[in-house]
Amino acid sequence: MSVVRTTELTRRFGPITALDRLTIELPSAGVIGLVGPNGSGKSTLIRILLGLIRPTDGTASVLGASVHDPRDYAARVGVLIESPAFIPGLSARSNLVSLARLRNLPLARVDAVLAQVGLAGRDREPVKRFSLGMKQRLGIAAALLSDPELLILDEPTNGLDPAGIVEIRELLRDLGRNGRTVIVSSHQLSEIEAVCDHLVVIRFGKLVFSGPMVEVMSRTREHIDVAAEHQADTDRLQAALAADGWAVTAVDDVLRVAAGASRAADLNRAATAAGVTLRRLLVAQDNLEQIFLEMTGRVDGELANGRAATDGKVA
Amino acid sequence: MIAAVRSELTRLRQPRLLVAWFGLMALFTMLVNTIMVTFVSGGGSLPPGAPGVAFPTLAEMERPSGLMAGLAAAASMFGVVTLSFWAAVTAGDYSSGLIRLLVAAEPRRWRLLAGKVGALLIATAAATTVAAIVNVMAVMPAAGVAAISTAAWGTDLVSVVASAWANLFIALCVWGVLGLVIATLTRSAAVAISIGVGYVLVVESLVKMLKDVPSDWLLGTTLGAVASGGTDAVSYGTALALALGYVTVGLVVAGAVFGRRDVTD
Repeated sequence: MSVVRTTELTRRFGPITALDRLTIELPSAGVIGLVGPNGSGKSTLIRILLGLIRPTDGTASVLGASVHDPRDYAARVGVLIESPAFIPGLSARSNLVSLARLRNLPLARVDAVLAQVGLAGRDREPVKRFSLGMKQRLGIAAALLSDPELLILDEPTNGLDPAGIVEIRELLRDLGRNGRTVIVSSHQLSEIEAVCDHLVVIRFGKLVFSGPMVEVMSRTREHIDVAAEHQADTDRLQAALAADGWAVTAVDDVLRVAAGASRAADLNRAATAAGVTLRRLLVAQDNLEQIFLEMTGRVDGELANGRAATDGKVA
Repeated sequence: MIAAVRSELTRLRQPRLLVAWFGLMALFTMLVNTIMVTFVSGGGSLPPGAPGVAFPTLAEMERPSGLMAGLAAAASMFGVVTLSFWAAVTAGDYSSGLIRLLVAAEPRRWRLLAGKVGALLIATAAATTVAAIVNVMAVMPAAGVAAISTAAWGTDLVSVVASAWANLFIALCVWGVLGLVIATLTRSAAVAISIGVGYVLVVESLVKMLKDVPSDWLLGTTLGAVASGGTDAVSYGTALALALGYVTVGLVVAGAVFGRRDVTD
């Protein structure tokens, strides 16, 4: 069964088309990464799925129920939207108690989720004294309160320190393994790569990719990063390697060569033949970030949308 | 809906908010009683259309209802305080972003609105009680110092206190609903409070100065009449009917806007 299904889903805000006939089907259970450049339509999609805004056109369903009547699934969905929103003057516990009461949940759930996110000892403190990371944990606790079938989390590791990131990553993995579906929207692609089973990439409101993470990562290739001993030789090295038939691109102060480990020695010899000594030669695998940039074309979606709207190209 | 009221009540239990609200009610009650007693015993009278307060005469002060006259005298001031807190609580949901979480948890938005109104009514009842208690504590010594006769103040004590409390409570509820409506429309506590205070202190006073324009229907006049149990200009029944009309229109507007609005901006 699909946990989320959209067909030709469209949402316009004046001249901006935030979602453009988006059709996706997300599998139930597991962790799903929702990624895209700024302004790609991720937040708009989440808002529609939560019933906060209505689509301009097309259909969407969550847990089998239409987004036009979110009452049918609201109790089964937990959310962390954009940034954790709480009443600063109230304690963490009181904030959660107010949400538990709204959903008619037993107050024992408050203790359970506070323990789950590691805030059990700090729950009596007012939220205004919390760091961003602690607020983030509290936001995740609020999302978990109803023990939901579907969790929708926007940037869940935002503001967390490395230990906190690992902890929340484990929590998300556990939730995904235990039969829940977790949709994670994030710009931190290393996090998405580390926890997600399924990936959805959208750009300019359109679907770029939707499929298992293993399928995405199967697209990765090896490359070799090389750096000349003297920075001044970099351009000469790049020209020599290109003339020799190597596919070379400059990335910051290194040259990235599209080749695997088996060609590392040849590459070193080619550099030597060009009269350049290497101070670095590193064989590495493409990561999700490189694949994402290839898919989305290295653009800032918000700036591109703004320019297009100004030019009258987006209607 | 009870769940929404209980949830909202939990959020209202912010020490600073309640201390400020109830503290201002107590402060204004003491202030108004002190000034009113001094003013009345000195034989003074307010200029017509004076904003915010309406003092009784010495004869009215010495009646059984004189004990609670301070509540009616400052009804508009209490009203502005109440309007401000209803507006602050309502707009706070937007400024904190909490509204998104609430609507996602309870998509039936009318329940959220009803829950907020219900909880704020309970808080307003508590604020009215604070004002009533402080009123009794303040007016007794002030009357003693000003040599105002308090001999009749014990007569029908329960009835006098209960009706003064009820009348002020009704008036404050209407003020509060007005704050909720403006905050729902503007999503800003500062703007809502500015509009409310500006209306009472400026607009209504200016309209009252226009001799050819009937001013009995104005919000402040109407709610002042409710708080006083009726005045020469507006009977209690008319004032209640007008107040009910204001509340109905206000809640319909707030419900219509909140029900359809994109809460994610």
